[in-house]
Amino acid sequence: MGVRNTVSMTAFVSSDRQRSTPVLRRLAVASEPYLYSAPAVILIVAVMLAPLALGFSYAFRDVKLLNPLSGGFIGLDHFRALIDDKTFARALKNTFFWAGASVALQFTFGLILALLLNRPFWGRGIVQALVFLPWAVPSFLSGLNWAWMFNPVIGPIPHWLFALGLTDAPDNILSDPHNAMWGPIIANVWWGIPFFAITLLAALQAIPRDLYEAASIDGANAFQRFKSITLPFLAPTIAITILLRTVWIANFADLIVVMTNGGPADRTQIVASYIFTQAFRRLDFGYASAIAVVLLVLLMAYALLIVLLRQSLLKKA
Amino acid sequence: MASIDITDIRKNYGAIPVLHGVDLTIRDGEFVVLVGPSGCGKSTLLRMIAGLEDITAGEIQIGGIRVNDLQPKDRDIAMVFQSYALYPHMTVAGNMSYSLRLRRAAKQVIAGKVASAAAILGLDTLLERRPRALSGGQRQRVAMGRAIVRAPKAFLFDEPLSNLDARLRETMRGEIKRLHQSLGATSIYVTHDQIEAMTLADRIVAMNAGLVQQVGSPLDLYDRPANLFVAGFIGSPAMNMLGGTYRAADAAFVAHDNSVVPLGRAYGCADGAAVTLGIRPEHVVVGGAGGHVTAPVDLVEPTGFGTILHLRALGTDLKAFTLERKTAQVGETTSVALPPDRLHLFDAAGSRLS
Repeated sequence: MGVRNTVSMTAFVSSDRQRSTPVLRRLAVASEPYLYSAPAVILIVAVMLAPLALGFSYAFRDVKLLNPLSGGFIGLDHFRALIDDKTFARALKNTFFWAGASVALQFTFGLILALLLNRPFWGRGIVQALVFLPWAVPSFLSGLNWAWMFNPVIGPIPHWLFALGLTDAPDNILSDPHNAMWGPIIANVWWGIPFFAITLLAALQAIPRDLYEAASIDGANAFQRFKSITLPFLAPTIAITILLRTVWIANFADLIVVMTNGGPADRTQIVASYIFTQAFRRLDFGYASAIAVVLLVLLMAYALLIVLLRQSLLKKA
Repeated sequence: MASIDITDIRKNYGAIPVLHGVDLTIRDGEFVVLVGPSGCGKSTLLRMIAGLEDITAGEIQIGGIRVNDLQPKDRDIAMVFQSYALYPHMTVAGNMSYSLRLRRAAKQVIAGKVASAAAILGLDTLLERRPRALSGGQRQRVAMGRAIVRAPKAFLFDEPLSNLDARLRETMRGEIKRLHQSLGATSIYVTHDQIEAMTLADRIVAMNAGLVQQVGSPLDLYDRPANLFVAGFIGSPAMNMLGGTYRAADAAFVAHDNSVVPLGRAYGCADGAAVTLGIRPEHVVVGGAGGHVTAPVDLVEPTGFGTILHLRALGTDLKAFTLERKTAQVGETTSVALPPDRLHLFDAAGSRLS
């Protein structure tokens, strides 16, 4: 009896209070979940969205560090200038080549390496650890290292190429306008193979061994097993790693800045290194931001494409 | 269809031998079950027949052809895996037709064979599904369908029912047996489940520790186990094993607690030799007149189908199985008889005495 009395009394009191300040009370109740999540949301907005918005706004303003009077809104002027910018057009073309060749070679060698490391052999543990070593080298250090190796004064590579008859003279490939891009690409491939090898090896090891045995009993040879078991299993991983790497490499200017600085004659300038040049050499942050916005839009379109492709692959599986 | 001859097959993993010389002949159309506890080498033997494991020594012939050095695909066998090993990216029809497509069979031939296998297994309506949209039993059927379409010389089953729940396992067991009756294919079936072995096999090969313990029909193994391992492995609830000695004077067994069980006849064994007496729980007679000993009831396990009584008798925990709904109470004392014609006697090394 006592308990029931208390319960009905509390109900009475609370309904009475609700009647006295209904709007405030309802507002408090409605905002409760938002208040709880507010700290996290504010943090994310402050850390992620605010800088993006700020950078985005630079693209529509005249921001030059050397001109204290700059900073005014200029609309689409930067983008108009971009359309006629020959260096930008070349950088865009170079970016396609740089990202395409780097990713294709990294993926091919990474896949081969993963397939090799997936077979048991004596000392595999040590070899695996060694293979993943380049990944641990700072990109800037590996850029310097490769630049020196391509340098005929201190590096062996030009002499080897000459000895093999591939070049007419032991010249620095990095100063050859037609082939300079291959220098950073080779350094990038060396540096990026482990990423593909690690991720693809992990995916390979998740494939049940039974399937290969069943297929070998069914009469499939090594190539047929690869085609009908390995590839379908790897496809989603391949799609996502290629997406990640392409976006990342298209944005990745370290090696180029260290090895060639975009030269000779902008032959190795990619969009990312062009942004770097505009922002930190010419100190034109507004124009650099406009280029960055274009790159962002292109990469987002590309990412969307790959995600759609992956979805359809997963749906088929 | 073909016979399979296995001659002195051995297998070592590095320095560790896992098969110590197995001889076995499987007749054309026979259903042979390899049974034993895990690690006994039964799966290794099956995989050696399939060509998935190298043969350390010995010879395997399928249909009179030595296959030691042939690739799995050239041995003309089909295998059903415990995990089913279905290709997840192919439909049911794709899974079943994969081997035929690899052999570049004509489209109509493939369609016909897949359709007839699907009809046998009741998969007609599932042909366009992918494995992950199937239940465990359906996947198992697809795995068998993949084997059937090939019409191979022999079917190899590697614990195919172990991943199914108990009810489904019973159903599929029946289906496999029916399938074998209609196809008459030479089959080797590996399992650790003695019930599967008993119900499916024409002949059982009981294995332990890399050696064949006994080969024979299911009832052979049940009624006349060659040694203690087979006696203990086949049958559920397991056979009672009593330690004691043989008394030649009156052909009797003397248990550790000195109680005497008359054996009914003389066995080829020295007086006073240490022996093990075996009797199946369903053969122990509880209650009634003429019991050898009286024993208190220790534990009562009703199974619905019958009752398992645990008795403290002959210096051990003696199990008795009866179809009657025993109303015996724990602590009650009852008389126990061990009929001489139901007794098995094993020597100290574990071999059956005659």
